[in-house]
Amino acid sequence: MTQQEAEIILQRTFNLSHFYDEQWITIEKILKGERVLLIEKTGFGKSLCFQFPAILFKGTTVIFSPLIALMRDQVKKLNSLGISAKCVNSEQIPEENSQIISDAKAGEVKILYIAPERQENSEWIEATRQMNLSMVVVDEAHCISVWGHDFRPAFRRIINLVNLLPKGLPVLATTATATKRVETDIAQQMGGNLTIIRGNLMRDNFRLYVIKVNSEDDKLIWLGQNIEKLPGSGILYTGTRVDTEIYSKWFEFLKISSVGYNAGLDADSRIAIEAGLMQNKWKCIISTNALGMGIDKSDIRFIIHTQIPQSPIHYYQEIGRAGRDNQPAYIILFYNPEDKKLPEAFIEGGRPSISKYEKVIAAVKNEMLGERNLMRQTNLKQTQIRVIKADLIEQKIIREVTIGRSKMFEYITDAPPLNTKTFEELRASKTRDLEKMIEYAETTQSRMKYLCDYLGDSSTHSFTNCDNTGLNKIIVSINDEWRQRLQDFREDYFPVLEVKTKGTNLINGVAASYYGVSNVGIALHRSKYENGGDFPDFLLRLILKAYRKKFEQEKFDLILYVPPTKSGELVKNFAVKVSQVLKFPISHNLIKQRVTSEQKVFENSILKSDNVKDAFTYKNPQEIRGKTILLIDDIFDSGATIKEIGKYLTNLGALKIAPLVIARTVGGDLI
Amino acid sequence: MNKESAYWIALAHLPRWGYLKTNKLIIKFFHEYKLSIEDFFQLSENDWETQYGLEYKEVEDLKKAKLELVNNAFLAETLYNEGYELIPITSPLYPKTLKDNLKAAHSPALLYVKGNKQIMQEKSIAIVGSRNASDKSLEFTDNIAKLASKEYKVVVSGFAKGVDKQALDSAIKYKGQSIIVLPQGIMTFSSGFKKYYKQIVDGDVLVLSTFPPKVPWKVELAMARNPIIYGLASEIYVAESSDKGGTWSGVIDGLRKNRKIYVRKPDANENIANNLLIQQGAIAVDFDGNPLTDYKPTLSEVNKSNVKSNVNEPNENYENKIFDLLKTGEYTVKEIIKKLQLTWSEKKLRDYLKSQKEVETINKKPLRFTMKNSTVKQISLFK
Repeated sequence: MTQQEAEIILQRTFNLSHFYDEQWITIEKILKGERVLLIEKTGFGKSLCFQFPAILFKGTTVIFSPLIALMRDQVKKLNSLGISAKCVNSEQIPEENSQIISDAKAGEVKILYIAPERQENSEWIEATRQMNLSMVVVDEAHCISVWGHDFRPAFRRIINLVNLLPKGLPVLATTATATKRVETDIAQQMGGNLTIIRGNLMRDNFRLYVIKVNSEDDKLIWLGQNIEKLPGSGILYTGTRVDTEIYSKWFEFLKISSVGYNAGLDADSRIAIEAGLMQNKWKCIISTNALGMGIDKSDIRFIIHTQIPQSPIHYYQEIGRAGRDNQPAYIILFYNPEDKKLPEAFIEGGRPSISKYEKVIAAVKNEMLGERNLMRQTNLKQTQIRVIKADLIEQKIIREVTIGRSKMFEYITDAPPLNTKTFEELRASKTRDLEKMIEYAETTQSRMKYLCDYLGDSSTHSFTNCDNTGLNKIIVSINDEWRQRLQDFREDYFPVLEVKTKGTNLINGVAASYYGVSNVGIALHRSKYENGGDFPDFLLRLILKAYRKKFEQEKFDLILYVPPTKSGELVKNFAVKVSQVLKFPISHNLIKQRVTSEQKVFENSILKSDNVKDAFTYKNPQEIRGKTILLIDDIFDSGATIKEIGKYLTNLGALKIAPLVIARTVGGDLI
Repeated sequence: MNKESAYWIALAHLPRWGYLKTNKLIIKFFHEYKLSIEDFFQLSENDWETQYGLEYKEVEDLKKAKLELVNNAFLAETLYNEGYELIPITSPLYPKTLKDNLKAAHSPALLYVKGNKQIMQEKSIAIVGSRNASDKSLEFTDNIAKLASKEYKVVVSGFAKGVDKQALDSAIKYKGQSIIVLPQGIMTFSSGFKKYYKQIVDGDVLVLSTFPPKVPWKVELAMARNPIIYGLASEIYVAESSDKGGTWSGVIDGLRKNRKIYVRKPDANENIANNLLIQQGAIAVDFDGNPLTDYKPTLSEVNKSNVKSNVNEPNENYENKIFDLLKTGEYTVKEIIKKLQLTWSEKKLRDYLKSQKEVETINKKPLRFTMKNSTVKQISLFK
């Protein structure tokens, strides 16, 4: 097929008149059954390079993509063109996925988007034995490489699959962000006979700024003053999930329309937010970078980072979503030299200690284990187990197998010893990347050129689209009025305790503060562990404020408190004071019926739940029936204790149980 | 990971292609034309017909198999991910013992394994026998497994009840190594992988299957698996056999392939077919597996082998009568049975006569028998 012939079909099916050169080169190779790695910037039109051949092929084209939102958008677009495309993902109900898979089996789906994790699903694997497959596409192929910014272990299986596919079956891997090193790594993993096509990565519609600040306050205040002045709508990236919450509460306080978005949200909320973004419902979305938002919105007008990313490649990927329509987009990075502590901590703490690795190896060597039992046997956090698991699979020390319906880890016969050298190499490489990111913030040269060079696109083009090359620098100026507003906000903001569960009468509670974020944590620690006496009165004032904000409208029949494991009467005395102010009666009848360990000994929520299971009893149970209860504790971590007591009191007939605590820890190990 | 796995799966399970036909093709492209299997599949239909002399139907089979390569790739990926490995007959990992014993005619083109592959290169023995073997046979099995484990020989077993299971359990008990040869697809053995987890991790057990990975257990597969057990073993011990069923046909098949097969000498009171096998050419052994070269079962002992028939049990008198008759000329089995009014089956008599050194078989149709040289001495059997 010639380009002209192809473009006739292109016009008819996609309403586009012509291909770019690099698109056509790619498509020609795909049509010949070759393998291509295509590195092009966001907005180039990579999707067309597989969508077009897909409609010419007899069978189904499978696209492995990690970004659910992007899949959904593309499916919608293809369907509107009359092309039969579907996606299978974890956010759809199993029945819907099953239907799509069986449609694909029946040859009724031309283009099938699917998450790489699906490769672990037996229904899908079973279906692949009968499907007529014409092409395999690996989207976001940088996820294959540990040297990239978003390595995903599920891609390992996709790579194995690609290596097993017969000659002559076209394979296209695409990415917008690959350094030379990542490019080489992808090419090597995908095996020989691969053509690499790399386009230029320059985005001249970007307006790149770095705002030097000295504190979090500077960031909050500048945003408060200026975000409404930026054109259109955009994204604010924060460093942590807690920050997402704090920034969105701040905007809420200032009546700036915004919405928080993070990986912890349920699918419905995420879909609703993505849809709202498309309709410019908010000025901005506040999100963590943990979630790769594959949103296909062409007119994102600004992307702001409150926290320096781990590397220029992370940064390039995240800002890449702005201004796909080629209209100007504001790309702003806040930079406080102090901020490198967070990515440094990620790099340092990103890997559990070697002894924890050894612990997992020993446990799996002895017995085939699922994740939960592994957590029980090793007392490790789920997050740590997952990191360790991924590394051990990578090093071919353990593997994950499916027994019946459950996933189990097994030790590989004759496995090599743990190789810690690769960890050090990775750490060194990440440290270098972070230094490069800091260099970006501090450079006095063109920022666009800096990014292009870093990504291996050594363009000679002269760039004038940053605050070093033609645009004015942004300087933060703070006045007392804004300082006061921030102070008011801080005293009015309390974290929520999400404990509401089906089957109990627990409602979501409130904490006076986050544990590590303010002086609250220090005060608690002094009383609990340094013989500092009763909790200080400012905590009482704070908790009462939190109470009024959250439960103003509520009436409670009874105050209970969580009986202590070790720290004596602290919580009891505190609860008595609360009861005196609120004038609800207090009961001392909730007691422990067996000795438990301190919850902080346990690293994961499974062991925490085991620790407190059936640990509580109430001396005079009929007292509880029909009552609404305020349940007081000092620190809320995984919520296991509160949930256990909530379950118990519900069984005794309590109508409502509302938790009220002094501090909530950050980053509890929730399942 | 063998990158050609999808091709091997396609070739190994071509419907109604026997091992010989498949292996002949492999020999041709791999050894004669020095092509990889991938290159072979890239050839045109015309090349398949002209260079390889394949017939229309065979080319059609290959074309169909080619269409399934992508699907096979998905299957292979799942297999590797779960720790299974695919070993094609051209691989240096393919056990030499198996190839030597089974030759092109009977060697499977592809093995699916999980566990310590090195085990397949070691010296090995198989201990086979009935599913409902006697205690005596199980003790023998245990003892042979113990001796083998001591000598670092691998015990090959078929994972059936009775002797098979005993052989495996004993090898594990004595810290020896074993190969479990499955009568089913390797992916249908989850419970076994759980059960022998520790042994597999420690490198003491290898699980092997020659069937498509997802097929469940079937009688036919159990029968088809037996030659693989024999093929994988350098030595074969029979603990107990009846005169039909898997063990019996397995041993007979082995003898036909000129394998040395050691059979436990049964006690006088055992009604099993071991003596019949010895008489067919298997070697009698004692409890410790030592060959009893001088041992020859008496006809009555042999006849005990025929555990199924109980009417008119032949005895020494019949034997004498048979030999007396044969001294007088050439007879077919039909004639002998008629003249002597025997209740033996024709097959049984024919097998018996063939196994007697003093009896000459005359290759006419139908077969005729007579005494050699007609100089008849008293036969050792009758001592």
